Amino acid sequence: MKKLLITISALMSFSLSAAEAGLTFPDDDLPVLSDDKLIVSQQRGMQVYMNNCMGCHALSFQRYKRTSTDLKIPENVMMENMVFGDEKIGELMTNNMIKEAAANWFGAAPPDLSLISRSRGTKWLYNYMRGFYIDDTRTYGVNNAVFKDVGMPHVLESMQGLQDKSEKVKGLENDIAYAQADLAAANKLLEEGGNAAEAKKTIKAAAKTIEDAEAELIKLSAAGEYFVIVKEGQLNPQEFDTAMADLVNFLDYIGEPIKRERKRLGVWVLLFILGFGILAYYMKKEYWKDIH
Amino acid sequence: MTKMAQLMQWVDDRFPATKVWNEHLAEYYAPKNFNFWYFFGSLALLVLVNQILTGIWLTMNYTPTGEGAYASVEFIMRDVEWGWLLRYMHSTGASAFFAVVYLHMFRGLIYGSFRKPRELVWLFGMIIFVLLMAEAFMGYLLPWGNMSYWGAQVIINLFSAIPVYGADIVEWIRGDFLISGATLTRFFALHVVALPMALLLMVFLHIVALHKVGSNNPDGIEIKKYKDENGIPLDGIPFHPYYTVKDIVGVAGFLFIFCLIIFFAPEMGGFFLEPPNFTPADPLKTPAHIAPVWYFTPYYSILRAVPDQQLGVVAMAASLIVMFFLPWLDRAKVKSVRYKHWSFKLWVGLFVICFIILGYLGMKGPTPMRTLVAQICTVYYFAFFFLMPWWSTWGETKPVPERVTH
Repeated sequence: MKKLLITISALMSFSLSAAEAGLTFPDDDLPVLSDDKLIVSQQRGMQVYMNNCMGCHALSFQRYKRTSTDLKIPENVMMENMVFGDEKIGELMTNNMIKEAAANWFGAAPPDLSLISRSRGTKWLYNYMRGFYIDDTRTYGVNNAVFKDVGMPHVLESMQGLQDKSEKVKGLENDIAYAQADLAAANKLLEEGGNAAEAKKTIKAAAKTIEDAEAELIKLSAAGEYFVIVKEGQLNPQEFDTAMADLVNFLDYIGEPIKRERKRLGVWVLLFILGFGILAYYMKKEYWKDIH
Repeated sequence: MTKMAQLMQWVDDRFPATKVWNEHLAEYYAPKNFNFWYFFGSLALLVLVNQILTGIWLTMNYTPTGEGAYASVEFIMRDVEWGWLLRYMHSTGASAFFAVVYLHMFRGLIYGSFRKPRELVWLFGMIIFVLLMAEAFMGYLLPWGNMSYWGAQVIINLFSAIPVYGADIVEWIRGDFLISGATLTRFFALHVVALPMALLLMVFLHIVALHKVGSNNPDGIEIKKYKDENGIPLDGIPFHPYYTVKDIVGVAGFLFIFCLIIFFAPEMGGFFLEPPNFTPADPLKTPAHIAPVWYFTPYYSILRAVPDQQLGVVAMAASLIVMFFLPWLDRAKVKSVRYKHWSFKLWVGLFVICFIILGYLGMKGPTPMRTLVAQICTVYYFAFFFLMPWWSTWGETKPVPERVTH
């Protein structure tokens, strides 16, 4: 009984906190590419991945050979440029990271990313990769505006440079923090039986402030003014966004290597069923013509 | 006699092959006025065959251990030839099974197919439904994703509501102090051997009982009342070839939608394959939001609607048990919605709406407002059944035709 209570109350609290964590910045959609552009993007994404991510994040359900075939990367090109150890082409894309040690370094062991695009979704990944900003309170000097207090350092700093929240954003976040404090104080007053009319007025005003500030944040984010670059990297912001889209497209491929093929096949399967259905319909009509 | 006929005679002298064929297909007389709703029985059979066949092939590469299960599913998805198709056919098939069975049951509800003399057909069907729920629940644990793990955690813990022995029973089901590889292997055994055998037996009995009493029809009248000089119902037509060719059209329609999902949206936006299940089972990491798969959510909503957890479990169980009694709850003079008083449509219409709302709410986290709505729907759910002996007698019924109509 006690366990049941715990489970159910856990359910309730978890789903509530999920609802609260609604706003993430940035919140941009992953650009949609045509099939032939997508495969090129995935090839470039693989390059980014093998150079920057593979050391910690294995893709241990996927094989080099399959990737080379599907992404149309010649085997020798892949072996020379993207496979750094003495792995063979038919092997799984694993790495040599020691999980226990990594957990020590980052707080949690970097997860295998074979299926990350299916559990997190591509939009989330695209924003997460672009959401690192300066935060001196964190061990590695950065935080993430999509995944708060994530253990991962800003690995792509050399590419992106470093970004900080803009002054406007900091101001708005301050407003929200103050309004939330007001809200809490007013709620407490209400509970303790203080001046109800006054408290309700405060609550209304604070809620309005938060709502307005959040709307403004969303606007800033959409306009690309949420972050400002404080230290330049090798890429400009547009180039970095493209690189991250490439990376996410590659992870999307890794998440379900058959995706392209299943859609191609699906068209023919549906056409067959359609033809079969039409024949079946006329056969039925023929058999049933005497039934009244 | 031709060689073929001789061979058939040889078999028939030893095994009633022709007799069975005739009794259940070529000379099984079904009403000629079946409509759209009558596709779902044969479709349920089709999905059952799909699940068994794809299941057998999945078993060939699946590893039922806590260490190997998750990786073996990805092995099937990537390295087994056509493994991805087998897996998607099986996972989509699970949802399709419930969709088809729900529509099949709805058909029975509106045309009174559970009424005398078809009570046993309904009861066997209800047992199939409960077995199917158990089968689906245990199958859901096998990919060993994090939602598999925590979903099983929540559902198995429901048994702890049983007074006194609850905790021991939960431990006995799990085979461990928490959900572990031990739970996985026993669920695997039940999912691939025990429950499919029970399901097949019950489907067999369901059909035998149906063929004993004959099919109902949208008019809810007995076609056996008027027979010709050979004892053949005047409104009956042989199931084969008439309904076999008709059902093939239904199969094509079904397969179109089924394949549309398999090839273009196998996750069905997270309804058929949930995103958290693409991370391996982790006893230390609860998914942000645990919800059962869509086909269980109406009952899950009923569970949560009751403020007291123990009573919630009772309510959830009751919501299933009460359906068994349907044949004795409906007291209307006629069977079919076509000739019942208009209030029947209202009661059933509201029931469908409540069921869908409960299903929707079961996927969402609770808020005070949602809980209230779920409570109202739960009350109506039970009122629909418990008050049926009373409201089903309301008003005038329309005159029932002697012969089936089109």
